[in-house]
Amino acid sequence: MEHETVTSLAFSDVVASRLGGETVTLCYQCGTCASSCPVAKITERFNPREVIKLSLLGEKQEVISGDAIWLCCSCYNCQERCPQKVEIADVIYALRNIALNEGYIPNIYSEFASSLLNDGRIVGISKFVENKRPTLGLPPLQPTGVDALRKILFATGFDKLQKQEETS
Amino acid sequence: MDKAKVGVFLSDCGKQVSEILDFNAITDYVKKVSGVALVGRSSEFWRGKGLQLIVDSIKNGKINRIVVAESLPKLSEVNIVQAVENAGLNPYLVNVIDLKDHCAWPHRETPSEATEKAKAILLGAIERAKLLEPIEKLEFPILKSVLVIGGGIAGMQAAVDLADLGFEVHLVERAPFLGGLAAQAGRFFPTDDCAICIQSPASDVKTITHTSRKCVYRSGFSEIPNLNILTNSKVMGVEGGPGNYKVTIEKKPRYVNELKCVACDLCTAVCPVEVPDEYNARLKTRKAIYMNVPNVHPPVYVIDESFCKFHDCAKCVEVCPTKAIELDQKSEKISLNVGSVIVATGFKEFDSSIIKEYHYGDYPDVVTNLELARMIDGFGPTGGVIVRPSDRKPAKKIAFIQCVGSRDRRYNPYCSSICCMISLKHATLIKSAYPDTDITICYIDIRTTGRQHEDYYERAREMGIKFVKGRPTEISRDPETNRLIVDVEDALLHRFLELDADLVVLAPAMVPSEGTKELAQIGLESLLDEDGFFKEYNAKLRPTETIVRGLYICGGATFPKDAPTTSLHAHSAALKAAKFMTTGKMIKDQRTAVINEDYCGDCEFCPVTCPYGAISLEPTTEEHFVARVSDLLCEGCGVCVGTCPLNAIELRHSRPNQMLAQMKGLMSVNGTSKPLVLAICCSECGHTAVDSSGMAMMKYPANIRIMKVPCTGILQIHQFLDAFKAGAQGVMIVGCKSDGCHYEVGSQKAEKKVELARVLLKEYGIEPERLEMFNMVFIEGDKFAEAAQMMTERLQKLGSLQLMGGSQ
Repeated sequence: MEHETVTSLAFSDVVASRLGGETVTLCYQCGTCASSCPVAKITERFNPREVIKLSLLGEKQEVISGDAIWLCCSCYNCQERCPQKVEIADVIYALRNIALNEGYIPNIYSEFASSLLNDGRIVGISKFVENKRPTLGLPPLQPTGVDALRKILFATGFDKLQKQEETS
Repeated sequence: MDKAKVGVFLSDCGKQVSEILDFNAITDYVKKVSGVALVGRSSEFWRGKGLQLIVDSIKNGKINRIVVAESLPKLSEVNIVQAVENAGLNPYLVNVIDLKDHCAWPHRETPSEATEKAKAILLGAIERAKLLEPIEKLEFPILKSVLVIGGGIAGMQAAVDLADLGFEVHLVERAPFLGGLAAQAGRFFPTDDCAICIQSPASDVKTITHTSRKCVYRSGFSEIPNLNILTNSKVMGVEGGPGNYKVTIEKKPRYVNELKCVACDLCTAVCPVEVPDEYNARLKTRKAIYMNVPNVHPPVYVIDESFCKFHDCAKCVEVCPTKAIELDQKSEKISLNVGSVIVATGFKEFDSSIIKEYHYGDYPDVVTNLELARMIDGFGPTGGVIVRPSDRKPAKKIAFIQCVGSRDRRYNPYCSSICCMISLKHATLIKSAYPDTDITICYIDIRTTGRQHEDYYERAREMGIKFVKGRPTEISRDPETNRLIVDVEDALLHRFLELDADLVVLAPAMVPSEGTKELAQIGLESLLDEDGFFKEYNAKLRPTETIVRGLYICGGATFPKDAPTTSLHAHSAALKAAKFMTTGKMIKDQRTAVINEDYCGDCEFCPVTCPYGAISLEPTTEEHFVARVSDLLCEGCGVCVGTCPLNAIELRHSRPNQMLAQMKGLMSVNGTSKPLVLAICCSECGHTAVDSSGMAMMKYPANIRIMKVPCTGILQIHQFLDAFKAGAQGVMIVGCKSDGCHYEVGSQKAEKKVELARVLLKEYGIEPERLEMFNMVFIEGDKFAEAAQMMTERLQKLGSLQLMGGSQ
């Protein structure tokens, strides 16, 4: 760590004040979450215990600009087994929301977002998939009512987040 | 009652007070107050000539009520009251006040305002004194006998202490043998000696050497003449009150006569019934007639009635050489009257099977520390060999998991405090007996907080025991080899481990025992804390007392404890019980609540509210009942008074008319340009916080007038209104911290009442912020001075209070 880096403990308060982040300060670093985590087992890029520790130590920049928080697969294994009832997966959602507000969003998520704004679907449907459906006996996909959805997305400011991401 | 003739005695505290206050003006003022028969001045009235003047004035009949202004009244009052009593006047007709710390010192920069305040204080005290009434002392008999519930180390130690002191002791144990969890645990840290070693009785018992510790079976413990040991017995009811508890005990049949059995083992040899031995972790079987281990107390077999075939078999009866086996024994009801009760019901291991991912109860090779202790015990089922229960082969790789169900918000949020040491003890014992055993301890934090405890941790590391900082998420089992796999993150190395093990030992939380739960069910539930352990009266000062006099607690019944702490606790409970019973009586004054039966009836507020269970309801007619106060149990706080919707309860020593008279007195003299504030302080933290602000010479304005009540819980909403009516522009309620009230609930009750009253004030057109509750402790004198200043400024901003009809 660089000498002049000043860590801000208040970051844990910021996390705790977010929906889902309330329980973050209960963590005592026992590692049950990490050993429960299927993602941590296969990549060193994500360890829920470390994400929480860094948040508690106020290492905001490292947490929100890194890719760790986006790697959680939301299986909730950790949350089920945490002896301190830290809502770990929900804390990670809170961290993602903070990251998003500050303009950090991985490409895949911004693709989801624009797909949602443009097509009304998180995952775009390819011609291949559309053509495949009848052969499997599935009905053709209905239009998504994207206009109504966009009204909601505009009303909630979702489009602004998107723009912020585009400009950053 | 005689007409009140008040003697007022003004101490200048060696000029400390008279340098600031104008004592001549004060004396002149007091002389003119009606009912004042005498005004005395001296430099001190709590001893010497000053005190003699008080005594003489009583003796020659000049005065029958006394107001003394003295420094440190909470100390000087003791002497004054004693002298008054010796002089033949009822000691509760004395009112000692403080002109130094409550007036002269905090207002030393505005001496004339302080002098006026002193007049107000004295007027209030005199008016109150005139209304004081004599209070009698009552004597309650106390039986010199004690029931000790629980025959583990705590109960045995407490029983020996009290028996040695000559009290009649009944020791009740629900199991057929003494020793409790301790005996099962085998060896203890930090001495690594046996659990069944106890301190020998000091009583003259046969040939026992007095100072040396002994195994319980040779301690002479059972030979103490005034110690009655009841095993296989259960307490069914505890009724009555301090000094005379009526206890019912069910002594279950043992089917073996304790006086005849010679422990020859012929019966177990012929008994055809074999059942898994729960005591020995089901690692062996026992017969239907059995002893846990050979060295138990009493050394008498017991028949397990759920398995014995009784008269259909009766082989044991045939072989018994002393005819000790009595298959027709019936359970016996025993009633006892005892002066006090000591609860020593201990703790037990948490049921780890609730944590599914650890598979306890499912995988046989996952055991608890207590089960491991049975394997370590040479008398145990494996003769000291550590085995895998599944195939009885020696366990070569052992993993311990700490904090199983403890420090876990899903089950038990607390740290059980002894499990780290138990695991370290077990790991080192195993490693010294079988050095090639591979041992790993998975921990969250290692806690070794006790004398010589850290040595175990150090020794464990020296021995090569491995430590992994991490709480395992799961134990799985290799279906082919049956070996266990512990899935854990080594948080220090950032590495995921899959530890394979022959045996996994869980260190479960320690939770309240069955005995504790049963006692709760027979009426002691209110004495439990949120975790189900018995709650002490005060953790710092009264760790082995409960809120109920004569009812003591010790050992694991209060929280998981190691053996040394349990011993300490037991000795403490024994001493407290002895202190309570030693004179055979308790003298208690009637500074208690008294019910006006004309008003009282048909509501249940006071009995529910009383923190001491001192109020009961008694029927008067078929349809009506009234409250009755036990003078023995009542602590005189007045919480009931504050709760009563019918004004049917008063405290003899703090009646509403006494309070009102004092209030009016305090508000009758102003002498400052600032708005008058009545600060009603509880006699505990509130009033002493005022003392401490004065002692530290902190400053606040002289418009703050202090009135003492036993507890803020006594206050009723109309009294706040009375204060405004009497001329107060603002009212401060100063009590203990909500969770630190000396009378348990008084402070909280007052807070709620203030909240309600503020709503009411608004309705009346009075600004609610004129009334506020403050919570503080003695050392927070600064907080009081700040609050007083703040309140004054607030009221100055609000301007003068206009009441309909004007203030008096």
